[in-house]
Amino acid sequence: MNTMSNKFSLADSTVNSIVQVEKITSGQKARRFLADLGVLEGVKLRILKNDVGPILIEVKATRVAIGRGIAQKIEVTT
Amino acid sequence: MRRSRFNQGKRRYKRKFRGSKPRGSKPYSGKPHHGKSFATEDTNHTIEHRIAFLGNPNVGKSSIFNILTGSHQHVGNWPGKTVEKKEGHFLLSDEYFSLIDLPGAYSLSAHSEEELITRQYVVEERPDLVCAIVDATRLERTSYIALQALELTDNIALIVNMMDLAEKENIQIDKHKLEKLLGIPILLVSAFDNSSIIRIKKFLYDALHTEKYTFRPAYLLYSQKLETMINSVSRQIENREILRDYPTRWLSIKVLEADKWVISKLEEEYVLDDIFNKIEKLKKSVNFDPADEIPKRKYRALKDIVKKSVIGIEDFKEKVSDKVDKVVMHKFWGYPILILIYVAFFLITFYASGPIINGLDYLLSYFSDIVRGWLVAVSSPTFLTSLIVDGILAGIGAVLLFIPIIIIFYILIAVMEDSGYLARSAYLMDIVLGKFGLQGTAFLSMVMGLGCNVTGILAARTIKSDRDRISMILTNSFIPCAATLGVVAFLTGIFFKTKPWFAALLMLILYALSFLLVFLSSMFFRLFLGKSDTMPLIIEIPEYRLPRIRNIFYLTWERAGIFIKKAGTFIFIASIVIWFVSNVPYGVSTEYSIAGYIGRGLAFITEPLFGFDWRMVIPLLFGIAAKEVVISALSILGLLTVAWTTPQIISFLVFQMTYAPCFATLAIIKSETKSWKMTAIGFFYPLIVTSLITAAVYHILLLFL
Ligand SMILES: Nc1nc2c(ncn2[C@@H]2O[C@H](COP(=O)(O)OP(=O)(O)OP(=O)(O)O)[C@@H](O)[C@H]2O)c(=O)[nH]1
Ligand SMILES: [Mg+2]
Repeated sequence: MNTMSNKFSLADSTVNSIVQVEKITSGQKARRFLADLGVLEGVKLRILKNDVGPILIEVKATRVAIGRGIAQKIEVTT
Repeated sequence: MRRSRFNQGKRRYKRKFRGSKPRGSKPYSGKPHHGKSFATEDTNHTIEHRIAFLGNPNVGKSSIFNILTGSHQHVGNWPGKTVEKKEGHFLLSDEYFSLIDLPGAYSLSAHSEEELITRQYVVEERPDLVCAIVDATRLERTSYIALQALELTDNIALIVNMMDLAEKENIQIDKHKLEKLLGIPILLVSAFDNSSIIRIKKFLYDALHTEKYTFRPAYLLYSQKLETMINSVSRQIENREILRDYPTRWLSIKVLEADKWVISKLEEEYVLDDIFNKIEKLKKSVNFDPADEIPKRKYRALKDIVKKSVIGIEDFKEKVSDKVDKVVMHKFWGYPILILIYVAFFLITFYASGPIINGLDYLLSYFSDIVRGWLVAVSSPTFLTSLIVDGILAGIGAVLLFIPIIIIFYILIAVMEDSGYLARSAYLMDIVLGKFGLQGTAFLSMVMGLGCNVTGILAARTIKSDRDRISMILTNSFIPCAATLGVVAFLTGIFFKTKPWFAALLMLILYALSFLLVFLSSMFFRLFLGKSDTMPLIIEIPEYRLPRIRNIFYLTWERAGIFIKKAGTFIFIASIVIWFVSNVPYGVSTEYSIAGYIGRGLAFITEPLFGFDWRMVIPLLFGIAAKEVVISALSILGLLTVAWTTPQIISFLVFQMTYAPCFATLAIIKSETKSWKMTAIGFFYPLIVTSLITAAVYHILLLFL
């Protein structure tokens, strides 16, 4: 669908980069919980760790670890 | 994109103006006053104020609660410690203040037990004041729940905690600006400042009493589209019979947010299909989902408030924690470090407690000799002397002996909790546990279980997936608690006195085995518990903090204190019981006492299977009540001085590590699962599994030794 855009999933983001959340396509329950932790559309994140295991991000001055499965459903842009 | 007028200009925030409200002792507009009449024997405080603390996990709610009320609630540096609401009190100017420490929650929706508890408390119990607590260094994120609370109640004040850390980061908060924007009283503090206690007390007092503050909580206006929808729901439910305590607007917002609890309640009275159809249509036609839009609006408003009232916030500044984590949470180095830390944990406990135990042992036997001598001197009957010296003193003494082990162990756990490493080890373990179908958060429950299975099972509440949570509740008793550690350290210390390195190694292997059992069991349970609503791992990782002596002291004191208290009460009674069953009828040898008969009966099974003779069975039987009783019973039965064969020793050690949950643990399994069936599984499953393993170990050892 969006092969033309520069959107990619949070799971594919590079360490230390700052990205902006475009869309979260997960189920509503997870989306809501992410929102409670400040991860929602339009918000900027910094990637602290992304190799194996959950992805570690910084959002609104808080470190949050997000499982890889759900990170794949978070679309971001640089 | 769709852009509404909402976020432009000053319209965003409107004040809900109701004039100044007299507060506290006088009832005020509309809402019934809840100050109950209150009188205690010594004084006659006629006014009781109830104040509820709510806020995100790990913002310091319990820390503040503790300093104000002099309690020692669980404080540590990981999210999700307080799982049940706790009440405490203080007096100021002859008035009685009741504080309620609610479990940390990220929002006031109904996704989790904590959130439901919190919001029901706020609305249905109607505290005189809701006090939201937020973290100054993370003002925006931690205020999200406060903004939600503003929609739920008017009696709300805000404490901005951790100002010491904010000052270090050069964050400056303009209190008056913030007060104006939010329309509620605000206090900036640091929980551990000496002046804080009185400042917070005074703040709460003023908030409840004087005209110093006017409460006009800001009124968040959403976009026009949302407002139209909110109004249309509001109109429909305005004259409802149920949920009368909840504000109409708030309920409407929750309906739009698809809050299951609110919707199902309202549907008892209304057909809401119309609304849902409308929402569906919007979702389809303009791709607009109110459930996503509402949180977004709230955060946008918050961002704006923070921007106007705080200076010095630097986005994405690299902190010390980040640098440390480059190593500690490294994809490769993280694991050797993790193993090293946990192994060190046990070795330190083991080696540091050895000399203390020997010293205590010497003192205790010296003491019991004096008592015996004294009893003989006053020519007390022999059975009484035996009951006191060989029963009570031996039983309690044995438990007192390993209290140093427990204390040292608890200190180490507390250091790990308060430094922030515990949360990180949960992160690291997520990959490992993932192989067994568990999430990293399950590790928090396991580590807490090392201290006490009751705490471990309660900590399982941080696990978001229901299936994982049930399986952690059922398998937590596989994790040897501090009492079991005491038994193991004590027994290996006695039996392998000449080979301390072997004792330590054996202990580590036994622990590794216990953890493996938990991992494998959760895989096994997955077969039966079915598919869960696989909630993905999402966990907050706190900053590293220097562990606070105060926190460590109280954590250890509270936890070890339980054992010391138990030694004086429960173990005292258990010792008498054990002495009686193993000495009645009086005069016969133990073999023909009550305990002898029971033991010999059970030994028909246990002797061929595990090598436990009739005497070794009895401690295990009593150990089901509480694990430390195993040692008391061994001591009363004089088993610590007889020769055991090596396979017997190892088989006994393997068995007692995991064989059954104690009474307290069974009770908590019942209360957490609310099911007798689960409780039965929680008891028999470990028993069966441990029996199989012990039998295998024993027979293999027999082949070689
Ligand atoms: N520097 C500093 N640390 C604080 C302050 N208040 C609390 N802490 C620390 O923050 C951590 C969390 O405190 P708690 O009181 O356990 O937090 P809580 O909000 O009760 O957390 P949960 O029960 O998990 O929801 C602990 O390590 C405290 O020592 C403060 O004002 N300054
Ligand atoms: Mg707490």
